[in-house]
Amino acid sequence: MFKSTTIHKKMLNCLCCPYAYIKTLIFFLIMLFLGDIPLLAQENVEVFPSAPYDRFIIYQALVLFWIGIIGLIVIIKMKLKEIERIQDMGIDKEEKDIPFLD
Amino acid sequence: MKLKFSLISRRQFLNTLFGGWVVAFLSGSFYALLKFAFPTLGKEPDFVVLNAKDFLDIPFNSVKPFAWGGKLGFIFKRPDNKTVALKGVCTHMECNIAYKPEDKKFYCPCHKGWFDMDGKVLEGPPPKPLEFFELTQEGEKLIVAKKGIKVELPKA
Amino acid sequence: MSCQRLKNWIEDRYDLDGLRGFAKHKLIPVHRYEVLYYTGGLAMFLFIIQFITGMVLSFYYIPYFEQAHKSIIEIVTKLNMGWFFRSLHHWGAQLSIGVLFIHVFSTLLLKSYRKPRELLWITGLKPRELLWITGFILLGISIFFGLSGYFLLWDERAFAAVRVATGGAGNLPVIGGFIKSFLRGGIDVTGDTLTRFYAFHVSVLPILTLILMGIHIALVQYHGMSVPISEEKNVRKHVPFFPNVLYKDFIIWLVALGVVVTLSILMPPEIGKKADTLAAPPENIKPEWYFLFLFQTLKLFPGDLMGLNGEMIAIVLISLGILFFFLIPFFDRRSARGEKSPVFTWIGIIYTAYFIVMTIIGFLT
Repeated sequence: MFKSTTIHKKMLNCLCCPYAYIKTLIFFLIMLFLGDIPLLAQENVEVFPSAPYDRFIIYQALVLFWIGIIGLIVIIKMKLKEIERIQDMGIDKEEKDIPFLD
Repeated sequence: MKLKFSLISRRQFLNTLFGGWVVAFLSGSFYALLKFAFPTLGKEPDFVVLNAKDFLDIPFNSVKPFAWGGKLGFIFKRPDNKTVALKGVCTHMECNIAYKPEDKKFYCPCHKGWFDMDGKVLEGPPPKPLEFFELTQEGEKLIVAKKGIKVELPKA
Repeated sequence: MSCQRLKNWIEDRYDLDGLRGFAKHKLIPVHRYEVLYYTGGLAMFLFIIQFITGMVLSFYYIPYFEQAHKSIIEIVTKLNMGWFFRSLHHWGAQLSIGVLFIHVFSTLLLKSYRKPRELLWITGLKPRELLWITGFILLGISIFFGLSGYFLLWDERAFAAVRVATGGAGNLPVIGGFIKSFLRGGIDVTGDTLTRFYAFHVSVLPILTLILMGIHIALVQYHGMSVPISEEKNVRKHVPFFPNVLYKDFIIWLVALGVVVTLSILMPPEIGKKADTLAAPPENIKPEWYFLFLFQTLKLFPGDLMGLNGEMIAIVLISLGILFFFLIPFFDRRSARGEKSPVFTWIGIIYTAYFIVMTIIGFLT
């Protein structure tokens, strides 16, 4: 907002002298064209949020996600180790001639 | 003080850790999915800008519909020459209402509700009167705003 | 936790002894190539991701050709995390098809299609060709999933790719014309083609996939895991599937999930210009990577071979090659008897190498 008002003031000052008229006219035309260029390149659709604030949140979320996954993998490995320990002890197999409780 | 026996078994510890982590992980992922699946656009607008030309020359005692977000709105030229704007949606079950110029009433066909020109309920199940908007004209534009909303037009 | 109460509730109503017995006795052999056992489950997991992301994306996609491209741009720019789920669907597709190819080629090279030898612990001495047949059809379905899904973008590249693909299918003698008009919904690729491909992608193919995957997985439970002929005497032990191998499955699936999510975030796919049905295709277009080997093979054939249409000869030869691939379990008599079959091992190696080499060449040119 600030920038545009100071530019406006400068332009109004320029209007006093005739050469300045041409300058401001050319300035206007240039601004018009520069504004147009992003519209012409419309083919390039933003497939990823460009604002740095958004990007930080996304990368942060990715890091947290990987922490979650690695944590889960570690826990599963712990469970596997425990189960293999139990299985090696052989206590999960049923005894062959176990008496029935009749 | 050192305990002689551990408070929980190894199995319980592992299973709780596993279950808890899985729940946290899945609910986080599921939340992300739901954020996408639930529609982001769905609020009613605070105000709507229309072209004055299209709406000021309608005949007396008639309505012209306009889009209020995704819902129906009416610009209503009353028989006493006042122009007002209202939401053309019945306060009962949100069916669209119609204006009956012969009776000078609004009618909802879903459950046969009747409203008068000021939106007051005359007959039928609707619990509340019709919602009216504030109508202001700024040059070529007609601004329809929710009651109480200060409209700040962008400098376009 | 109230797990015990839930278990009691179910036990009171249903007799789960059969399931429990099956679960206890499902054993997985341990040998040199056992890591390849995980490719099937991984492919299934990736397809589940595709189903989920596809379902949510279909809430917002508009399958009308005038609005399809724009609806995708809306998804990517205006919706909460729309870009992410579209990117996830894209990378999920790439990885599922990749893993699926690894799965198919590994069953070819390990000859998992054969009847297993007399081994005491395996309950079915039955031949396993039906696994191969259902698997092959599933591979074709997945490739069509890829093609139809990509077409829904309605950009220049997809449009040109579908024109070439359906046109190529049309070069088959006798049935080519029918296949081409069936796929295209007309003589040329138009908005009707989009409607048709959308129907394939979201309803026809998913139902076929579910049915065939159900049969395929049920057959794996029935037959058990196949052990390559060279490793049969090397099998040291068997691990129970529940829970040992299942947990290993979970670990691999989690890693795959991490990879897919990372790729989706770091390399989201572009959206090309909207397709113009009357314009010429863009320069140097290439199909998706799983078509590159076919594309390169077509390029090897000249346009006119001894007066006959070069394209047609190419398509016929390719079809015969694929048909032979499909019929390998029926031709491989020695494997069916449980003996080593070096001829077919070499045939399998040649097919795999051809696929890999042609795909790489397609990438580099």
